Amino acid sequence: MSTILYQPPADPALLSQPPQRPWRHKPRSFTTAVALAVIVPAVITAALFFLSPIPGAIVLVVVYFPLQLLASGIAAWATRGVRGIADSVIIVNAIGATVFSFVVLASLIGSLIVRGLRALSAHFVYQNSVYISPSTPLDYGGIGHALIGTILVVAVATAVAVPIGIATAIYITEVRGRAVPYVRFFVQAMSGVPSVVAGLFILTIAVSTGWFSQNAFAGGLAYAILMLPTVARTAEEVLKLIPDELRTGALALGSTRARTVMRVVLPAAKTGIITAILLGIARVIGETAPLLLAAGNNDGTVLNPFGQAIASIPVYIFNNVAVPYPDAVARAWGAALVLMILIAVLFTVARFLGRGRVGRAK
Amino acid sequence: MAGVRTCGPLASISLGQHPVMANPDLDQRDLHSAATSHRGDRVFSRVVTGAAFASLVVLAGIAIFLGIQAVYAFQTEGLAFIFSTGWDINTDPPTAGIWGMLYGSVLLAVIGLAIAVPVALMLSIFMVFISPPKLATVLTNLIDLLAAIPSVIIGLWAFYILNPPAEEWQALLNQYLGWIPIFENTSQNFSGTPFIAGLVLAIMMIPIITSISREVLSRTPPELVNAAEALGCSLWTMLRFVALPYGRGGIVGGVMLGLGRALGETIAVFFVLKLTFETNWYHIIESGGGSIATLIVSRFGEVSGPEELNLLLAAGFFLFLGTIAVNMVANLIVSRTGRLKK
Repeated sequence: MSTILYQPPADPALLSQPPQRPWRHKPRSFTTAVALAVIVPAVITAALFFLSPIPGAIVLVVVYFPLQLLASGIAAWATRGVRGIADSVIIVNAIGATVFSFVVLASLIGSLIVRGLRALSAHFVYQNSVYISPSTPLDYGGIGHALIGTILVVAVATAVAVPIGIATAIYITEVRGRAVPYVRFFVQAMSGVPSVVAGLFILTIAVSTGWFSQNAFAGGLAYAILMLPTVARTAEEVLKLIPDELRTGALALGSTRARTVMRVVLPAAKTGIITAILLGIARVIGETAPLLLAAGNNDGTVLNPFGQAIASIPVYIFNNVAVPYPDAVARAWGAALVLMILIAVLFTVARFLGRGRVGRAK
Repeated sequence: MAGVRTCGPLASISLGQHPVMANPDLDQRDLHSAATSHRGDRVFSRVVTGAAFASLVVLAGIAIFLGIQAVYAFQTEGLAFIFSTGWDINTDPPTAGIWGMLYGSVLLAVIGLAIAVPVALMLSIFMVFISPPKLATVLTNLIDLLAAIPSVIIGLWAFYILNPPAEEWQALLNQYLGWIPIFENTSQNFSGTPFIAGLVLAIMMIPIITSISREVLSRTPPELVNAAEALGCSLWTMLRFVALPYGRGGIVGGVMLGLGRALGETIAVFFVLKLTFETNWYHIIESGGGSIATLIVSRFGEVSGPEELNLLLAAGFFLFLGTIAVNMVANLIVSRTGRLKK
């Protein structure tokens, strides 16, 4: 007796067609049921909303949401039986959560643009606020001093946090000492330091030692505490992507460890390192509490980072929010729009660089 | 071999005995350390090691500097500093009790979590298992954008855009559900309530929790998902028995990272919460509540002298302890599920 092996004929048409996934097949009755389940509750809700005096929030929560759940449940039960009901509940809730988040984001960005554009003008970006009171019309005054202050503070923070952050990443990926798990743990713990505590810490050092007062340097130190974990972790991810062949190759050619890192590994990771720096700046540039405590505020332009208290965009917004003058509030929205544009540019550039050959940060 | 300086593992090389051959435990890392014999390398590695411990130094510095202030506060106030309520700097010694603030921070975080966790979980399920991949990519970018908005802008938005409708919603809640104790409101004043502050915190937590749980859920092995579907699992049963158990650790860690952010949030809460020192135990739509981070910023502007500054710094110490503890536990949970970045 010989075993007969069945060898299916290799049908080229079968091999070339995409996977069918029959279990995902949706019959037409299903599509109809879903369409009905979407349209009927929406129509009922719209009718109630426009024709009855019931408040919109109540209509949404008490009428629309349960009705949508019920309709989807019925549609699912009709097409897929009892087991479909749980699925329909999940899908309705998932779409609801997505819509909720999208509405929040759209409202945030939309109001920022609509209200911020009112104050935005050329002089708003370069003038300072020396002779400006909350009731001054929008024709005068701007955030020039705050912009310079933010740049100074971020420059100090970058000068402090970037070398330390990159050195931390080098320790983790290149030196690979025994303390690597601990260093990573502490870097992660450091990312949990609340921004207000970073400001308090620098303030305490300033008060107890008297080395410096509220100025751009102190604000930069507070920012550096918040920036360090982001830079260190992103740089670590980037350095890990550098192939080991480069390192072993350099070592085999007789290079020392330090030279391998400085001349081979870091240049190879250049764009990634820049991405790490940009992400670190974007992470801190909007933080308000540390500057409120450590850098203070000023209506005039300050150019000396070690001098007097200095203004910054977040603190400028903070001081103009809850003021009973519409023009001051418009300035807050304008400054917020400028800040958001800055952050968007930083993130876009970081992401654009991150698409390069090695420096993929995420 | 004359003239070639060797030390460390390289010194053990002799004819016919390759170090890796002789000792299979020598992996690539030992080859790395083999080259650290150069003096410049030793300096380099020491400098880098020193910088790597900067984070530890900063954490220890914060604990020590603020801890000293906490000791001062305990010397003047005793345990009442934590367990009593009130803030009057003109008495001698000054009255200061932060219980209402400590409790308020937790209450706000709980309200925020109650809103943010379901939304974020559903959002990540939508992005991973329901939506078309292209829409999911767009949503991921939008969520990143939401995470990038600074808290002062969220506060500005909440103060002017979210507040008016939120006050109406609370009035409706009170009107129809006022018989439930947490929705009681005797003053009919619905501004500056813990509910609004919690809602704002939820908006700031949603991107954190979503991005982590999305990543964890998307790491569910596709063969498990496909196998479950092939065996006839519906979406719900697949989630219940495959995806959610697989991603549980990561999701819990993400929620705790969000909690850490909520506890430390200052500026956004400052604009939407009316800070009161009496403990608001559970009346979440009654005006007034506490938050330890907001206390620091709101009192700092009009701080009367070194005594009050000292009390604020001591309050900051407890904020630091709480957030760091939450964050460390969160990171341990997240990294235990094999996810170490961000």
